[in-house]
Amino acid sequence: MKTLGRYILLFSGGVIFAYPFLWMAVGALKPEAEIHDLALWSSHLSLASLEKVFAKVPLARSFLNSVIVSAFTTLSVIFFGSMVGYALAKLQFKGRQVLYAAILFTMMVPFQLTLIPQYILIVKLGLTDSYLGLIAPTMMSALSIVIFRQFFLGIPDALLDAARIDGCSELRILFRVVWPLARPTVLTVAILTFMTSWNEVLWPLLVVRERSLMTMPQLVTIFVTGGEAETQLGVQLAAATMLALPVTILYAFFQRYFIDSMVSTGLKG
Amino acid sequence: MTVRRDQSSQKSGFGRTGHIFVFPYVVFFLLFAAYPLVFSLILVFHRWNIVTPMEWVGFKNFVRLLNDPLFAKAIGNTLLFLAVHIPLQIVVALLFALLLNTRIAARGAFRAIFFLPVVVSGVVVTILWQQVYAYDNGILNAIALSLGLPRVPWIIDPSMAMPSIALMATWKNVGIYIVLFLVGLQNIPKELYESASLDGADSIRRFFYITIPMLNPSMILVVVLSTIGGFSLFIEPYVMTGGGPMQSTLSAMLYIYNQAFYFGHMGYAATLGFVFAVMILAVVLLQKRLLEREAVVA
Amino acid sequence: MTLARGFSFRLALPLLLIVGCAENKESFSPGSGSITLTYWPAPNPEEIKLADTLVALWNKTHPSVQVRMQPIPVSQSTEEVLLAAIAAKTTPDVCSNIWPGALYEYTVAGGLIALNRFPDFDSLMNARIPSDLLKFFRKMGEPAYQIPWKTNPVMMVCNVALFEEAGIGKLPRTYSEYLQAGENIVRDRDGDGQIDVWLGERDIRPIWWQRLFDFYPFYIAASGGKTLFEGQEESMDRHAAAQVMGFFQECYERNYFPRTFFQGGDPFLLGVKATHFSGPWQVAAIKKFAPTMRYEVVPLPVPDGGLATVHTYGDFKNIAIFSTTQHPAEAWEFVKFLVSAEHDLLLLQIANQIPVRRDLLRNPLFEPFFQDNPEMVPFAEQATYTRGIDEVPDLKEIFDALSQEYEVCAVYGRKSPSEAADDMAKRTRMIMEWNQ
Repeated sequence: MKTLGRYILLFSGGVIFAYPFLWMAVGALKPEAEIHDLALWSSHLSLASLEKVFAKVPLARSFLNSVIVSAFTTLSVIFFGSMVGYALAKLQFKGRQVLYAAILFTMMVPFQLTLIPQYILIVKLGLTDSYLGLIAPTMMSALSIVIFRQFFLGIPDALLDAARIDGCSELRILFRVVWPLARPTVLTVAILTFMTSWNEVLWPLLVVRERSLMTMPQLVTIFVTGGEAETQLGVQLAAATMLALPVTILYAFFQRYFIDSMVSTGLKG
Repeated sequence: MTVRRDQSSQKSGFGRTGHIFVFPYVVFFLLFAAYPLVFSLILVFHRWNIVTPMEWVGFKNFVRLLNDPLFAKAIGNTLLFLAVHIPLQIVVALLFALLLNTRIAARGAFRAIFFLPVVVSGVVVTILWQQVYAYDNGILNAIALSLGLPRVPWIIDPSMAMPSIALMATWKNVGIYIVLFLVGLQNIPKELYESASLDGADSIRRFFYITIPMLNPSMILVVVLSTIGGFSLFIEPYVMTGGGPMQSTLSAMLYIYNQAFYFGHMGYAATLGFVFAVMILAVVLLQKRLLEREAVVA
Repeated sequence: MTLARGFSFRLALPLLLIVGCAENKESFSPGSGSITLTYWPAPNPEEIKLADTLVALWNKTHPSVQVRMQPIPVSQSTEEVLLAAIAAKTTPDVCSNIWPGALYEYTVAGGLIALNRFPDFDSLMNARIPSDLLKFFRKMGEPAYQIPWKTNPVMMVCNVALFEEAGIGKLPRTYSEYLQAGENIVRDRDGDGQIDVWLGERDIRPIWWQRLFDFYPFYIAASGGKTLFEGQEESMDRHAAAQVMGFFQECYERNYFPRTFFQGGDPFLLGVKATHFSGPWQVAAIKKFAPTMRYEVVPLPVPDGGLATVHTYGDFKNIAIFSTTQHPAEAWEFVKFLVSAEHDLLLLQIANQIPVRRDLLRNPLFEPFFQDNPEMVPFAEQATYTRGIDEVPDLKEIFDALSQEYEVCAVYGRKSPSEAADDMAKRTRMIMEWNQ
């Protein structure tokens, strides 16, 4: 009996979390008048709303922009994060402690403080309306450095010494010896960074005004709040569905990794 | 930590390599961490709209902040959001974590569904929930009508709007905390429960005297992470309500954004950001101290 | 157009440092000794067509001073683009889409030249501008940076059929008459428990430029033609403001105006609401989307007791010359060309907009147009009795504050009108003081 109760609750939960997405996706395909029906089906499904979205705003272009920005950010964060994490964990150099303290400090400073000066800096560097302007402030991440450092600390020095004696440079050691060991960590950081970067809206809103350079969430935001789609629900839902699609597809395949990476990061924080 | 490599040439070799490795980050740090911090401390004493030169105003920005009814409202709104969001988050996450912690089939599937809103963009969730909350025939009100209940002014009524946004935020984020609690629950040694049952404790006592205290680290995490997230609340009110009705969903970040980019008051916006950041730090530190003390006591 | 401007203004500042110009701009003189001026009209299709025509006419008769027309990108508001261009020094010679509310920002950045340096400026202004308006655009002893070109007076467009259906013969001119009409018009026609016909409808969001279509025009009407400032001093007519707020408060309290969004199209064109406060562009929209609608354009309702003349807000668009120009004298000649009578006629014919001319209804040149387009006559008559926006700093923030008070008082009925009016004035002063 208890078990049945549990299943009912869980199932209700499932409905609460899944139904709205389904309703949204179907709503993007329904004719305008039927959207408010709670039914997840209609006899008049069509791609009309979707077509309108693509006609009104450069959605495909924004998808590309998001891919470029997020991919570059992720690669950059992993590259530099592992480099600095490795240096902090396994290399001796003057100022190591100070740097680590500074990194921890940046994690404590709320972004609310630095947002505006960072924006002004980007403006002064002439990087508004550019990919670099979008990527620059998130190119390296203190969190990733901490995560990598944590993991690298656990690598036995003997392994590294063996490689050093063989004459490997530290760079080679990092990429040939350490990285293969760190795959789960790299994956964790990659997923986390990619997801955060993809969903970021505030920064693009500040830095990019040129439509052809907007990221996908930014373009959809502007589309929905800017009055172009205001009275047409189907078009709004279509835009939202398209925005949700890429991450959802990735999530469908790599679900375990998504959950694990976000949770393990939270646990460490 | 002993340094086993004491050959001086190797040591300086490491030193140089180390410096080379961290050099890019140092540059990055100076540009995007140190400079903004320093500049913001300068900006708070000036008035600036980017186009015309900066103008020294001393403490005028701070005086203005103290007399600014909208900033006070924004802070109040943000606190209201947290007051609704955090308890709700804890209760819902705990409930589903407990349910999932039992022997049931398809646990992975449920977990995946609960976690889906977490990965999806906040913009999608907001657009979707605008229709959930729509007054005339949004999802919730359509269900209410079919049950014979009256329509609810979810985001039209000034006293309901922020709680409604908090509810939406819970829906979006609770997935992470369900999994967090689940991990926490699975880490509780079974022996504790067994010995408690032997002592005659019923399930309710076991829950309050074992489960909750053992989950304290997870609780702290939920509270602190939700708080930090709550203080960043921006895109949801921006898209859904524009800060209304009657400025009841104006979050602090939205207000700062408006001051900087809508009205061009960079100096004042920097001041708002500074004061707000100090508040956040204070709240988070306070929370950590209070909650950690409870853990020690427990 | 106003929608785009309003929203885009929200993100205005970031653009300031961006070279907003989508096209290359050169204003050098090619070796042959001829001069090329660049001219930016408003980005809507009708005005571009008008600009093309005007520029072609000019170029034909002025071989040594050629004009090149460049449209402003549609996705951004003109104000943003101009501010960015001023900052980057890529402004054109002449622009005819100058909104007076942004003039302060343009001039404080040093972007415009004073037109009164030209000896014939004042005589032109005196001949062109109705005397009632002159003092708003020409303050002696101060530089004048713009010459008024056209205005879009906000008036009340009524769906005559809906009024007749409700048994109302005379269109309302006072608040009481208006509210009285609401009693009969607002009802549930098909018995589904929902109201099918509304008296009016306004966007209830406290977005600053929305007030340009409800509070502000009504205030100008109720105060007999006053604006909110006297020079740089706040001087709101609080009694009039309270009357206006009280009026809208009644409309919402009696449920004559809905508090929700219409989805599925423009409610006036769909015949779902009886009155609409708008400018002449509404006429074009009706002709296009609801050609069978019977409508009439009347001045805005005023407080009971009536007023001799009903003023309103006129969405002025003016012409200015930028400080980057290498040929101010030639640019001024082009400006005079734009505002000459024959070309004002083209403005009427091609773009359906009202030039700011004191002889608009007297000059025989315009008679045939008004005979063919009688629906434009009320707007032409109103054009003389319009007011613009004061050129004060932080205009947006001030109107934002006004919008918030309007929202609290009129839409949600949480404050009394007189209290709201006082708070409006107080907040305006506070904002002006902060930014001294």
